Amino acid sequence: MKEFNGSRFTVHGQRTTVHGKRLTPECYGENHHMLKDANILVIDDEAVIRDGCSRILTKEGCRVKGVENGEAGLDLITNKGEPFDILLLDLMMPGISGMEVLDAVHSVDQSLIVIVITGYATVESAVEAMKKGAYDFIAKPFTPDQLRIVVRRGVEKRVLQREAEDLRKEREKSLKDIAYEKSRISTIINCMVDGVLVTDRDSQIVLHNPAATRLLEIKSLPIINKSLCQCVKNEGLVKAVATTLSAERSKYLEISQEITPCEGSARVFLRADTAPVLNEGGEIMGSVTVLHDITQEKELNQMKSDFLTMVSHELRAPISAIQQQLSVIEGGMAGLITEKQGKMLIRAKERTKGLLDLINDLLNVSSIDSGIVVQHKESIVLKEIVEKAYQLMEPEAEVRGIKMRLETSDPLPPVNADRENMEEVFTNLISNAIKYNVEGGGIIITLRSEGEFVRTDVTDTGIGIPEKDLPKIFDRFYRVKSSQTRTVIGTGLGLPIAKGIVEAHRGTISIKSKEGNGTTVTVLLPKASE
Amino acid sequence: MEKVPKILVVDDDPDLVESVKMMLENKNYEVITAYDGIEGLQKAKEESPDLIILDVMMPNKDGYSVCAELKADPNYNNIPIILLTAVVSHIPTTTYTQRMGMEIEADDYIDKPVEPSELVRRVDVLLRKG
Repeated sequence: MKEFNGSRFTVHGQRTTVHGKRLTPECYGENHHMLKDANILVIDDEAVIRDGCSRILTKEGCRVKGVENGEAGLDLITNKGEPFDILLLDLMMPGISGMEVLDAVHSVDQSLIVIVITGYATVESAVEAMKKGAYDFIAKPFTPDQLRIVVRRGVEKRVLQREAEDLRKEREKSLKDIAYEKSRISTIINCMVDGVLVTDRDSQIVLHNPAATRLLEIKSLPIINKSLCQCVKNEGLVKAVATTLSAERSKYLEISQEITPCEGSARVFLRADTAPVLNEGGEIMGSVTVLHDITQEKELNQMKSDFLTMVSHELRAPISAIQQQLSVIEGGMAGLITEKQGKMLIRAKERTKGLLDLINDLLNVSSIDSGIVVQHKESIVLKEIVEKAYQLMEPEAEVRGIKMRLETSDPLPPVNADRENMEEVFTNLISNAIKYNVEGGGIIITLRSEGEFVRTDVTDTGIGIPEKDLPKIFDRFYRVKSSQTRTVIGTGLGLPIAKGIVEAHRGTISIKSKEGNGTTVTVLLPKASE
Repeated sequence: MEKVPKILVVDDDPDLVESVKMMLENKNYEVITAYDGIEGLQKAKEESPDLIILDVMMPNKDGYSVCAELKADPNYNNIPIILLTAVVSHIPTTTYTQRMGMEIEADDYIDKPVEPSELVRRVDVLLRKG
């Protein structure tokens, strides 16, 4: 008995296009499009039901396939390339029953939405089917609207299922990614030759690689979650980390230093670069230190500078003697000389003096390389040093008619520095300001406090430095070549030495110049801590 | 007539000794010479010079040791000593003092090479003081 029969359906001549699309949320995001592209299988022995469903649902945009028994249906479900979204399943069929099909279907595809079609009076079997995993049921006879509603609900469920599945997969994937990323980072860090040491805000070690413990000669492992000062014997490193962590928010402090694993042991030298680890808000969350073994570099450098020192001394002694002898002859102490001889001897002395200056500079460079410079740091008043250099250079300036002026703002805090080194730096800078000045030019030296530093500017009205030469001006042996500099005796080592010394004191030196418009050299030296 | 001051010049470089000697003799000082630390110490004690010009870097006994020994001896500690340094200012006496654990009490330091006028001026200053 069927209220539902073919005559009630309008057959449209126009066939709905079957899209090759998979059911996606967008396809039925809105209700009236809900059924578009849904892939539906109808298993019913009654052709009129199959055809009816097909007509109604095809009209809605579904792709509908109908088969007349369970075997054919299961075959389609198992072997069909594209999965069905909804299965409309008659329970009462010849051959395999709908219940059996239901069991079989769910062992193949858990996610397939099954809507059972039951006889009018067989609510029990519908309930049983639901217990077995059917999603819904529709009782025969049914109207097209009833079918549409129940199928639509099924499709909705299907879509939600898909979405949930996608989200689950995504979450799994991102968890996997994180785990993978973590293991990848730790693999990279562990393979590094350089040591990596990460601490939290309280100077506790939270991450390190084997190289770090090896380089720092830490024997008592593990050191994770221990405080840095407990594990690391080098005070400089502990202090650098503390300084980095306590730096003000606005200041991003990177400390680079040379250390030895244990204070006093001079076998191994490390360069330790410590920097803060910031969170998104720019707050300091911890510190990271990278340790690089520079023992070999140091040894090579030492050998180089020993060699240089030796050669320089061997050169210096004979030239000193020659210079001395020239002085004696030129002074007429070894008998009278002619005026012409005297002039030549003066020139000869100038040349040997140039040679001696070069050797002195070479010695300075090698002593800076071997780190001699930072050995006698004391709290000094920079103004005194600059004044001394000023006085020393004054006669030379007078000869060239150059006016020098020293401006200081009192009182200036002391700096922690090596006295002789500082004299060298400022004598050098003032000497340059004189040498590369013009006749009757001017030099202004200013000293003032600037933040954490004492700032010194040596400004001259000299010939300036061409822009192309500026980047190389601190390179060893680099000299600006021009008609104006040709007659100036220099070694090309003055500025590199000054730079070496200033940097060994954790200061900076910079130069500003415009060709023909003079030069300003700025030296920043950190104030001595109270 | 006033006695001519006697100056002892000690340096392992004979050419340098020769030129310093000529500079001083030109100013009518009496100059005696020695060519290493040991000889220098011996001459200082034998000849009792009025002033000693002492090179720092010498074989056998360096200038610092000679200076320290003389200054420690009450018989000779009043002889002014000028140390001739060829080393660059970067390896200063303080380093040596720290290393050797003793104070160097030279009366003056002169960097080699030195201009005749400068040498004579420094010598004069010290002799006048004495």
